[in-house]
Amino acid sequence: MPAIRGADREVECPSDTPVLRSLLRAGVWLPNSCNQGTCGTCKVRVLSGEVDHADAPLDTLGAEERAAGLALACQARPCSDLVVEPHGAPGDAGRLTHPLRDVVGTVTLVEEIARDTRRVLLALDEPLAFDPGQYVELSVPGCGSRRQYSLANTADEDTVLELHVRRVEGGLATDRWLCRTLAVGEEVEVSGPLGDFVLPSEEDDDGGPMAMIGGGTGLAPLVGLARTALARHPERELRLYHGVRGEADLYDVDRLRALGDDHPGFTFVPVLSDEQVDGVRHGFPTDAFTEDVPKARGWSGWLCGPPPMVEAGVAAFKRRRMAPRMIHREKFTPADAAGTSTPAPHVTQEEVA
Amino acid sequence: MTTTPERTTPDLTWLDDVTMTELERNPYPVYERLRAEAPLAFVPVLGAYVASTPEVCREVATSPSFEAVITPAGGRTFGHPAIIGVNGEIHDDLRSMVEPALQPVEVDRYVDELVRPIARQLLEQFEDDGRAELVAQFCEPVSVRSLGNLLGLEDVPNDTLRDWFARLNRSFTNAAVDENGEFANPEGFEDGDRAKAEIQAVVDPLIEKWTKEPGDSAISHWLHDGMPEGQTRDRDYIYPTIYVYLLGAMQEPGHGIASTLVGLFSRPEQLEEVVDDPTLVPRAVSEGMRWTSPIWSATARITKEPVTLAGVDLPAGTPVMLSYGSANHDTGDYDAPSTYDLHRPPLPHLAFGAGNHACAGIYYANHVMRIALEELFEAIPNLERDTSEDVEFWGWGFRGPTSLHATWEV
Ligand code: HEM
Ligand code: FES
Repeated sequence: MPAIRGADREVECPSDTPVLRSLLRAGVWLPNSCNQGTCGTCKVRVLSGEVDHADAPLDTLGAEERAAGLALACQARPCSDLVVEPHGAPGDAGRLTHPLRDVVGTVTLVEEIARDTRRVLLALDEPLAFDPGQYVELSVPGCGSRRQYSLANTADEDTVLELHVRRVEGGLATDRWLCRTLAVGEEVEVSGPLGDFVLPSEEDDDGGPMAMIGGGTGLAPLVGLARTALARHPERELRLYHGVRGEADLYDVDRLRALGDDHPGFTFVPVLSDEQVDGVRHGFPTDAFTEDVPKARGWSGWLCGPPPMVEAGVAAFKRRRMAPRMIHREKFTPADAAGTSTPAPHVTQEEVA
Repeated sequence: MTTTPERTTPDLTWLDDVTMTELERNPYPVYERLRAEAPLAFVPVLGAYVASTPEVCREVATSPSFEAVITPAGGRTFGHPAIIGVNGEIHDDLRSMVEPALQPVEVDRYVDELVRPIARQLLEQFEDDGRAELVAQFCEPVSVRSLGNLLGLEDVPNDTLRDWFARLNRSFTNAAVDENGEFANPEGFEDGDRAKAEIQAVVDPLIEKWTKEPGDSAISHWLHDGMPEGQTRDRDYIYPTIYVYLLGAMQEPGHGIASTLVGLFSRPEQLEEVVDDPTLVPRAVSEGMRWTSPIWSATARITKEPVTLAGVDLPAGTPVMLSYGSANHDTGDYDAPSTYDLHRPPLPHLAFGAGNHACAGIYYANHVMRIALEELFEAIPNLERDTSEDVEFWGWGFRGPTSLHATWEV
């Protein structure tokens, strides 16, 4: 029996049954209305495989559209395995991206920058193309596991990767390796780049105001994003919040404050949740944002950190009326149509092994 | 087993007490009982048979033993030949007249540019107020302005178009009949007649203009398309279908937007999901259409020959009303049908009807509702229902919330 893949699910589809029916039966939703081929709501793009258009009227699905690989899901029968996607739904399918590669990095610096936090620099034999904000996977020696770390680099810093690593008590990668035995000269297997926590393309970036909130080492990708965004539009308004527990957890404060010297629209705001320190904001970084910015309509937002901070950030941004499509964060991918979600690998923290 | 039950006629005397006012306030309890006891039943106050389940509605709407007929109050309001009440060549001609502008390929070409600026402009007027009555300030205006511009009625103000559909609605659904089958409230048509006179005073001069100089508006195309050189369709021939548009096509996308919002407000976590992921808007709208179907019970079919259906013998020439709003609450198809649920198993619904008289505007209407909600959530992602105000639904023929107060932080 042919199988249909749509919405990342594989569904068996009898060849006498319209594609739409089989998907709906399996709980995979496709827009549909009339189910008689007359309204066009159920148009799909057939990415691979063959369909029989059956009774699809030419008025609803013209010859050109058929030639372009469109089908009416409520009419089309599968003649083979199929991959379909809803037509016109926004999605990045087909977007060009930097190829994922396996490379070797040599450790050139291991630096304690804050409590339980290290900066690690990895020199590559050949440059790795990526977009700022993306992450790489490191192979943990001797155990076959991989861990994800965001790049703090801008795109032109493509030969030495900068990672921020926080030690997790008992963590397989951090406690036993990166924050303990890792030494200059060591070779590390790196795969990347991965992820879609990236700026809009340069043509689409109109220099609009931005808010970035990082929790702990969630600061790392924001360091690459903020520097890139300011290089594109040096005058733009950009507020970068770094939320940590105490003063000992802060790092790169001078480096980030210095960005403001050349960029009058840039503000760096460290925020301490557990300590009251003169001259440093107290509380949660998301609350600091809502205190500072009365209206964020037209702004874009970037959030990286522990899931509760990211959720609080989304709420804070929306409260200030930032458009949801302008809010960038860790993506959660739906595992099935019942609506449950599984978190994507978290790029700045490590699970305790 | 010793007895074989006879085909028993259910005792439906309770239907004698059903009133129009009761149906307009809340038709669901009566129809729930009809679905359970008699999915095809004669309802005295309507003077007609009513189909209330998905199976019976679908059969009536698609069977070759039936054809379209307009309800008596509908016919009294629109006159002949309205697209919803004609068959054969006239219906084919009227469909061929309205369809070109509503074809998916054509709609894709214009709908975004038509609707998005209208939605944005409306939002600009109140997005910084922190509160709004969304039915009057957003849902209905997006709907009427978009279709008004498509039809060539750019100069008719939003409030006039809203007033027209409301008055035509009250006339069209003035369905109550007395024991002799006569209209129980004939005076209920008078305001609709006045509305039609106002409509003609505005549209007649436009028809005269477009007759001489064809334009790009839908109504201009209705006059000219498919006609021999130098001839146009007669205005009396197209007016009934103009009224179909000025009532249903103007009103229903507004109903649909508002009902979807009320549904989402009843599930704040689902509202949040849709606000965060605009690709869920079409699904939210689809469930909104099922949950409170805008055209709840407005169209009908008539038997062309004797038919036995759902255990009822219908002689030739028997009208049957299609209660799609009831069919969409059938527990055979939907668990807890009166609950709005974005994630319910996505079965097809009947909110746009079925058969060769199914809605001609499905694709267009779905896009209007989608774009309106996308823009609303983009401008006001922190939208909340104002719980100090009630939401009341009204209508049996056409149904939707009468008002919807919302608040947000500014
Ligand atoms: C959410 C909005 C709408 C809903 C729920 C809706 C629903 C319906 C329903 C239930 C019918 C009767 C189907 C039947 O008897 O089986 C109908 C008929 C029709 N609708 Fe819609 N409609 C909507 C919007 C529109 C719009 C915007 C247009 C035009 C631009 C339109 C054009 C028509 C026409 C021309 C008919 C008559 C079709 C015929 O009798 O051949 N509708 N609609
Ligand atoms: S659902 Fe209407 S064309 Fe397929």
